[in-house]
Amino acid sequence: MKANAIKHIRIIILSLSLLIVSAGMSMAGTFKASHLYNLSDFTGPLTYSWGALSVDATRNEVYFIYQNLVKVFNENGMEIFQFGDDLQLGQVLGAAVDKNGDIVLLAYLEGRSTIIKCNYRGEPLGEIKLQRLPKDFADFNASQMVSRDGLLYLASHSEKKLVVAEADGTFVRGYDVFDMLPHMDKERNDIDLSTISVDQHNNILFTIPVLFSAFILSPEGKLTSFGRPGGAPGRFNVVGGMVSDSQGNYLVADMLKSAVIVFDKDLNFVKEFGYRGAQPGNLIGPRDLVIDGRDRLYVTQGRARGVSVFQLAYD
Amino acid sequence: MKTLKLSLFGTAAAVVAIGLGANAYAFHSGGVAECDGCHSMHTPAAGGSFLLQGSDQSSTCLNCHEHAGDTGPSSYHISTAETQLGAGVSPLQRTPGGDFAWLKKTYSYLDRSGATVTEDGQVHGHNIVAADQGYAADSVNTTAPGGTFPASQLACNSCHDPHNPNRRGVDGNISRTGAPIVRSGSYNNSVAPVAGQAVGAFRLLAGAGYTKGSVTFLGNPAAVTPSSYNRTEATTQTRTAYGVSTSGGHETWGQWCSTCHPDMHSTGNYAHPIDQGMGSSLAANYQTYVASGNMTGSSATSFTSLVPFAQNTGDYATLALSAQNNNSVLTGPGSTDQVMCLSCHRAHASGFAEMLRWNNEYEFLTINGAYIGSDNSTSGNAHLGRTSAEWQSAYYDRPATTFATYQRVLCNKCHAKD
Ligand code: HEC
Ligand code: HEC
Ligand code: HEC
Ligand code: HEC
Ligand code: HEC
Ligand code: HEC
Repeated sequence: MKANAIKHIRIIILSLSLLIVSAGMSMAGTFKASHLYNLSDFTGPLTYSWGALSVDATRNEVYFIYQNLVKVFNENGMEIFQFGDDLQLGQVLGAAVDKNGDIVLLAYLEGRSTIIKCNYRGEPLGEIKLQRLPKDFADFNASQMVSRDGLLYLASHSEKKLVVAEADGTFVRGYDVFDMLPHMDKERNDIDLSTISVDQHNNILFTIPVLFSAFILSPEGKLTSFGRPGGAPGRFNVVGGMVSDSQGNYLVADMLKSAVIVFDKDLNFVKEFGYRGAQPGNLIGPRDLVIDGRDRLYVTQGRARGVSVFQLAYD
Repeated sequence: MKTLKLSLFGTAAAVVAIGLGANAYAFHSGGVAECDGCHSMHTPAAGGSFLLQGSDQSSTCLNCHEHAGDTGPSSYHISTAETQLGAGVSPLQRTPGGDFAWLKKTYSYLDRSGATVTEDGQVHGHNIVAADQGYAADSVNTTAPGGTFPASQLACNSCHDPHNPNRRGVDGNISRTGAPIVRSGSYNNSVAPVAGQAVGAFRLLAGAGYTKGSVTFLGNPAAVTPSSYNRTEATTQTRTAYGVSTSGGHETWGQWCSTCHPDMHSTGNYAHPIDQGMGSSLAANYQTYVASGNMTGSSATSFTSLVPFAQNTGDYATLALSAQNNNSVLTGPGSTDQVMCLSCHRAHASGFAEMLRWNNEYEFLTINGAYIGSDNSTSGNAHLGRTSAEWQSAYYDRPATTFATYQRVLCNKCHAKD
């Protein structure tokens, strides 16, 4: 009798776990990433390593910055315009498009970062000065900028600080990410932030490669972290940028794995794609990700592999 | 304290505190780091060896040691990404070893006859092979000059032991086994282990018994560096305190470099003296030399990181006292302190030919009070294809006023022939 009951329970557990497994599998089956093309100009696909990416999600245009040249690509990944080589702005680090369709550049000159408002052709109109910065952010220098819903999100990867500002530069809120982490005896200098992105709920997404961790920072300042070191699917080797798609899935680049790792909105592992290789759908050292309004994922890579574009699909 | 802070992360089941444990913020912490930072154990590997995934060993290191988007010197980065290396722009890192991106800076200029000369970037240092980041083997030096080590195999792990088991214990001796390594042993604030503990060998450098191809290292060189070492030297210098030791698992700097360059060192090869005491007259030169023609200095303010020397001690606590980055210790050499390879060369790369610490290709570093840049109207063709700003960055941002108005090569720091 007793033995029978145990057997019964075992069967229940077994079928339960089968259920869980098949749920996991069907999840994996619903997400698909297919390589479409690489960003190209009239001579063919770009042959640069890494470089800075940003997206104008309303027009589905993509900006790629390499050695001070700002290249603009249309929704089919063809270069339509470039500017910046003759600007005396110092080192151009990033570009964003504001609500009016004007271009905003982030540049670095003589030890400080500046935000420069330009017209849609990239001609400078004037500087946007960060205003009302609190004392802790007085010497904040951004190395990356994202524009989303009328706000500018600025990150300093080396200072480990983030600032959110109005389009006119007025400080809204700021974070010292390093101070938000549980401290041991380690130096601030021993970690770097990845590039940041901002999702549809205005969460700031980033990773810290040396901690093998990804982070979601809500507008209320709540920090959630996930990730485990490892080479098995779903684990992190040396991670790069993270974005979120229209379904709320999180996509994390991994430079060492040479793959993009996908998690659903509840942070369950879904699948990985890419992997090192010479095929068009392969990736080499993927680092930064951006995503447009049609769930097209743009990935920067090393080894002069340029920017690969994937279409994400969910049926 | 730790759990309290962790709870701020919220209660979501997904919040996994992995990687945030003790010592998590450093990566190597003086020894072998988390395997997963360099090896990917379960990824479908296309090519590559040792599960490293990167095209080669050095690409794996540069995943972390190069960071596209840097705006200036940034902690442990030793390479500037190509995306930050436009024409006229110098590499950004200012570490004692130097920024490998100088290998990608090729300069063209007209020589005295008016013919175009190209100074190929690859002459600026050790050409490590890192295909993902665009570094290729030296095409001229096929082996280490003065040795047989093949240039095609030169990698970060030719010189650094990626698993670094070399530990320095409380007695100051280095061995491959013994008390556990608790942290880096490179810094002025991390040198002294307590009993039962050890610290890592300086810069995880290859130590006794480390074999690469046909070469085997015989010991670790002694040195201590300031904990903040990647920084501009526009106002204060970064002083790495190099030492001299041949006991307890150590070898001298000259011996260490000579693992691959044996004939650059051995006596009778017409090479510059190495691992040799300065002697009283050269030490006196160093102490009093301020700039060309100016011998009014004094020992206490005479140090320059453009011409460092090895202090004649293997005691790390003593070395730590000089390893400062605030100009608090600028004491020059005594007669027993030594000239060594790194007195003239950097270890990775520099803005000058032969990986030197200064430009030795022309008699003047400055002319008429300014660097010999293409924008200095009095420097003629001597600019070697660089602007004054580019020269300044190669001298780790020192203003030209650090030198004489017509400064000659820094051999004179010791020899005072100018
Ligand atoms: C900093 C990067 C790095 C880390 C961290 C690292 N390795 Fe390695 N490992 C390397 C490199 C580079 C090689 C290739 C050595 C060569 O080319 O000879 C290697 C080779 C190896 C090899 C094969 C050759 C040999 O030396 O036996 C083994 C086994 C190995 N590693 C184990 C480990 C283990 C276990 C860990 C974690 C405890 C680890 N490694 C952590 C970089 C690393
Ligand atoms: C996952 C990121 C990562 C990878 C991969 C990595 N490093 Fe590092 N490295 C760091 C960090 C972070 C530091 C500074 C903190 C520390 O020393 O642990 C550092 C510091 C160092 C130092 C100075 C250490 C000291 O104690 O003075 C050396 C030398 C070094 N790395 C060499 C290498 C080599 C060689 C490789 C490849 C075999 C490599 N690193 C791969 C992140 C990395
Ligand atoms: C030819 C030998 C050699 C090679 C190759 C080499 N290193 Fe080094 N490295 C050194 C020495 C020597 C030092 C100490 C320099 C000093 O303090 O003057 C050093 C220092 C460092 C430091 C501390 C910062 C600095 O520059 O002083 C890091 C980090 C580092 N190396 C990483 C690397 C990485 C990553 C690679 C490969 C891309 C590499 N090294 C290749 C010899 C080498
Ligand atoms: C693991 C072997 C190895 C060690 C150790 C090593 N080197 Fe080299 N070195 C080479 C090789 C190989 C080359 C030739 C390839 C090149 O020039 O890039 C080279 C080239 C050079 C050059 C010529 C650079 C040029 O661009 O023409 C200099 C100078 C030099 N080494 C100095 C040093 C010094 C100083 C040290 C000690 C800090 C050192 N080396 C340690 C292997 C080594
Ligand atoms: C007193 C300054 C000084 C010292 C000390 C010194 N070098 Fe040099 N080294 C130079 C100069 C200058 C050159 C370039 C001109 C030349 O070849 O004479 C050079 C060139 C080299 C080259 C390139 C040779 C070639 O054929 O391309 C190597 C390799 C080298 N040195 C290694 C070393 C090593 C290893 C040590 C230590 C054992 C060392 N040097 C010590 C000044 C020095
Ligand atoms: C850090 C100090 C230092 C620097 C810098 C230095 N030397 Fe020397 N030099 C010495 C010492 C020490 C000796 C040995 C002196 C002695 O034996 O009296 C020496 C000896 C010499 C000798 C005589 C060699 C012999 O065999 O007798 C020559 C020539 C020389 N150096 C040239 C140079 C040149 C050229 C440079 C620059 C490329 C240079 N030195 C840079 C310290 C230095």
